[in-house]
Amino acid sequence: MNRKHLRVLIARLGMDAHWRGSIVVARALRDAGMEVIYVGNQMPENIVDTAIQEDVDVIGLSTLSGNHMILAPEVVRNLKIKGAEDIMVILGGTVPPGDIPRLKESGIAEVFGPGTPLKEIIRFISGSN
Amino acid sequence: MQGLRQKRQEWERSCLSKDEEEKNPRTLSGLNVKLLYTPEDTAGLDYLRDLGFPGKEPFVRGVYPTMYRGRKWTIRQLAGFGPPEETNKRYKFLLDQGATGINAVFDYPTLRGYDSTDPLGRADAGRGGVAIDTLEDMGILFDGIPIESISCSLVTSHPISNITVQSMFFANAQGRGIPLERLTGTSQNDFLMETAVTVSIEVLPPQHSFKLCCDAIEYCTRHVPRWNPVSFAGYNYREAGCTAIQEVAFVIANALACTEELIRRGLDVDSFAPRLSFFLSAHNDFFEEIAKYRAARRVWCRIMKERFGPKDPRSLAFRFHVQTAGGALTAQQPLNNITRAAYHGLAAVLGGAQSVHIDGYDEALCTPTELSALTALRTNQILQLETGVTRTIDPLGGSYFIESMTNKLEERIVSLLEEIDRMGGIVKAVENGWIHKEIAEAAYAYQKAVESGEIPIVGINCYRTEDEELPVEIFKVPETVQIQEQKIRRIKKERSALEAQKALDAVSRCCDRGENLMEVIVESVKAHVTLGEISHTIRQAYGTWNMPLF
Repeated sequence: MNRKHLRVLIARLGMDAHWRGSIVVARALRDAGMEVIYVGNQMPENIVDTAIQEDVDVIGLSTLSGNHMILAPEVVRNLKIKGAEDIMVILGGTVPPGDIPRLKESGIAEVFGPGTPLKEIIRFISGSN
Repeated sequence: MQGLRQKRQEWERSCLSKDEEEKNPRTLSGLNVKLLYTPEDTAGLDYLRDLGFPGKEPFVRGVYPTMYRGRKWTIRQLAGFGPPEETNKRYKFLLDQGATGINAVFDYPTLRGYDSTDPLGRADAGRGGVAIDTLEDMGILFDGIPIESISCSLVTSHPISNITVQSMFFANAQGRGIPLERLTGTSQNDFLMETAVTVSIEVLPPQHSFKLCCDAIEYCTRHVPRWNPVSFAGYNYREAGCTAIQEVAFVIANALACTEELIRRGLDVDSFAPRLSFFLSAHNDFFEEIAKYRAARRVWCRIMKERFGPKDPRSLAFRFHVQTAGGALTAQQPLNNITRAAYHGLAAVLGGAQSVHIDGYDEALCTPTELSALTALRTNQILQLETGVTRTIDPLGGSYFIESMTNKLEERIVSLLEEIDRMGGIVKAVENGWIHKEIAEAAYAYQKAVESGEIPIVGINCYRTEDEELPVEIFKVPETVQIQEQKIRRIKKERSALEAQKALDAVSRCCDRGENLMEVIVESVKAHVTLGEISHTIRQAYGTWNMPLF
């Protein structure tokens, strides 16, 4: 990745109601020098389409509703279908620890649960590129 | 006072270091807290003018003359998950265990006006609340529950959802032979929830969401007089990131806007204002929270009196439900949340709440299990029965510190309200994105303060346990979509297609004419039209809105 600034798309999955986490992470990434595209609530297909159009490096998904086991892997699947699997997908929100191994198997690069320090997310994204 | 001042200064000189004042910490809302408060800090306080007696203006000491001795706060534990068949069991369990009210929360698709089978909603059906698609579901949800005698709070949040879900509740009551005049309960029905706090896919434009909110209030004022047709959801504003000051200023700005609109529609202020109700959070800053409830009562009373001059004193009384702050709970060391929520609950009742929900310890991880829900209920009962807090009214009233904090919070709330007024009111503040920006900035500032360690949180930025094994069971949401799908399919087959279409046409016509939608929607749900069909019709008429992004 030769570009000066990492581009990150932040989306809330499906109908999840909580925007606090996503917006706080979006601001922190922006303060850390990344370009952030915040798209609010979206379904997996739209998230992937926007990510490709916007040529992002990373998709950050947020959900606290419990829909993560259905919708997060769908984002990865859609990326593969569209040949954009080089875009990294990370997930934040209320995710029971027992679900994490299966999410990672499905292609989610990392899961950040409640209480994760922002710098840990920043470090993960920056380090991965 | 002069003698006191001199003595205080002597004490400071002889006992405190010179930089003591610089060490003053701040509350979560950013207010300065001194080492000591004395009568100097409440010198301007006039008891009758500023505090008064319980049940009398300005209601700072409480909204009822005998408060908890007369009637204990309602133990109203929030519950809802999966299909209504499953949630009905949880309600019966909570009532059997001594809960004194129902607090029904609906799942994400229901709150946004989608059926469980909608492609946009399927993944969220049954999550975060119970799935309700039709009148039949409402019947199942409250089956065997005495809704004629127990008050039911419907956490409907978004006006687009409320207008149908509330109609289903009323139609179900009528079907059971219960007159609407007898029903007691609350609908959340807050347009800020739809447009600023829990925005989602395809929300209504703010002015239309606000219109639906007022439609529901107007209908209840005329037909369901004991129902609280709105509960301004400051709790959720707080969860989204607001400070205590913003929380109260925004609910009051919202309530004032509704009051103006209902008066414009020809209602007398005293016909509806006594039924406007509020919903606040109880967060970590114990004394600030207590002072917040007291300040809210004073601000509401004074502004209502000044702007609308109601004759019924109940129009001036700020009545509120409290939920302990979900955002203050941690996924780490989850049993600690029992202690946190107990402190939050204590702040709520020291602040004079009318009803209280205490959070389950597992809420940062999942929907509460039965054990977690029961523990939360017991925490509420221990508070009510064992601690003695119900014996005397507003026990912290008169404390130099609490009165000083109450005054300071009042000042800050009033000045924020003036700012919103200058902007043209709360609907404008949503339309132009000001409110979203305010909330986002406060949320980010809080998170940064947690990360810098300025706000300590046990298990997060201190006393962490590495590689913790979770000591709690994780709740699994029961199968929902299939169950709902079967019912919807059968109902659509059995209903009169003509009647259903006529009902939807009536909703559409009402939207076009700008008339109150409640009556046609009550009739629509009786024609077995689904929540999704009604909401879709409304969205077609009013269009949708994207919140200003930033």
